Amino acid sequence: MSDETKPCCSSGNGEPTATRSTAPMWIIVVTLVLLFTGGLFLDSHSGWFDKNVYAPYQSSAQLESFQPKSGAQAVLARGKGIYESVCGICHGSDGLGKPGQAPPLAGSEWVMAKGVKRLLHIPLAGVAGVIQVGGKDWNMNMAAMGAALSDDDLAAVLTYVRSSWGNKAGVVTGDDVKSVRAEIGKSPQPMSGDQMMKMPE
Amino acid sequence: MKNGFTVFVAAFVAFGASWLGLVYGPLKQLGVAKETTVLQLGDKWPVQRTGAATLGLQVYRGNGCAACHTEQVHQTGAANVISITDLGSHKSSDLKDFITSLMVVPELMNCSNAITGNLAGWNGELPKVLYCGAQDTVVSLLGDKLKAVGVKTEPRVITTGTDIARGWGTRQSVAADYLYDSPVQLGNLRAGPDLATIGVRAPDLNWQLQHLYAPRSVVKDSTMPAFRYLFTVQKIGTLSAPDALVLPKAFEPADGYEVVPTPAAKELAAYLVSLKNNAPLYEAPFTPITAAK
Repeated sequence: MSDETKPCCSSGNGEPTATRSTAPMWIIVVTLVLLFTGGLFLDSHSGWFDKNVYAPYQSSAQLESFQPKSGAQAVLARGKGIYESVCGICHGSDGLGKPGQAPPLAGSEWVMAKGVKRLLHIPLAGVAGVIQVGGKDWNMNMAAMGAALSDDDLAAVLTYVRSSWGNKAGVVTGDDVKSVRAEIGKSPQPMSGDQMMKMPE
Repeated sequence: MKNGFTVFVAAFVAFGASWLGLVYGPLKQLGVAKETTVLQLGDKWPVQRTGAATLGLQVYRGNGCAACHTEQVHQTGAANVISITDLGSHKSSDLKDFITSLMVVPELMNCSNAITGNLAGWNGELPKVLYCGAQDTVVSLLGDKLKAVGVKTEPRVITTGTDIARGWGTRQSVAADYLYDSPVQLGNLRAGPDLATIGVRAPDLNWQLQHLYAPRSVVKDSTMPAFRYLFTVQKIGTLSAPDALVLPKAFEPADGYEVVPTPAAKELAAYLVSLKNNAPLYEAPFTPITAAK
């Protein structure tokens, strides 16, 4: 095979040419537009670097797998969720209660009590009659709102209530709920504040 | 100049590209950083400093503390850990057999050696680490299986690294930690320990002041220079000053004199006490240790 028998490039008249020519303008414009949009795309995706992902984590999926899923903080988060949907409607998201509707939980001596028996009695059996909270008499009925919750859920709510809005009291465990629930039995009797005060703390 | 326009365009593109990459890009990524929230509790992070502590940052800067101290905790890894905290009605030997029998579950097969290895030689002491590795599915699966038979477990996310092993922090520093630092005092040399969590390790203002006045009165082998010019040694008047330092005998000034911190020393101490990078964040997750009931 020789060059003569297989011409690689030829002009119209069969002779090869070597002249200077500029690239067409449209190619330059299209290239620039492509580069610009490519740059914008890269920017908006942070070049696939996530601002939340720091070494040694390598991806947001990996970071997600290291998010704590339970423990004390998860109990509080779970308690908060249940509180907002069950208790917060009357007692308020801020725990300050509503006049004529529900007494405050923030700073309440019932909530902050050392023992949790009386506190557990309120959501498990309900309240009927006068109950004194923060030096004020509240005369209203509360249904056994917590009776339908599981032991762990009710414990989480009460733990949340006992450690929010400035309240600082111990954790309520599922076992606490279980024992009080067993004591109350199948026919819960709503009590007034005075009646509850007769129970051990 | 024959090619003036070309030179101008070339220079413009070169500088423009580096500006885009080095200034605009990072600004777009982190320049709009806002307060973030503490994991699961939802509290705001970072906590805004008090006035004195904000001024103390400038004292820290002015005295060149960053020349010998860093404010960045390094972390080399993280792990999902599950440990047994309560055996329930089981004996440790039965439980060992039960857990070994679980190893046929597909999700557990890959790490069956690690788990059975952890159980080898276990004679029932608690808490017992069952698995420590990257897979969160293993932790949740083991937790569910053990809960079903009445055994209590505790899943945790732990961080690893030499800084964390030294007790200099519980997690690595991330951009959000420095939101209120201006300028950020990262530091790049550790002649002294890292200070990112010094407010957790030494939260006592008086300790900080005494340490600044006489480092070797509290840390015997400290190589830190004494910052005596941040203090005034003055004659005791009718009453001693309320903020006078209480020093050990060897470091006391002459009889009848007392050491009183200047406002700058108090600001610096307030700043040091405010350094508490220990909250779990989304970008730096871990399970905090909370006091038991």
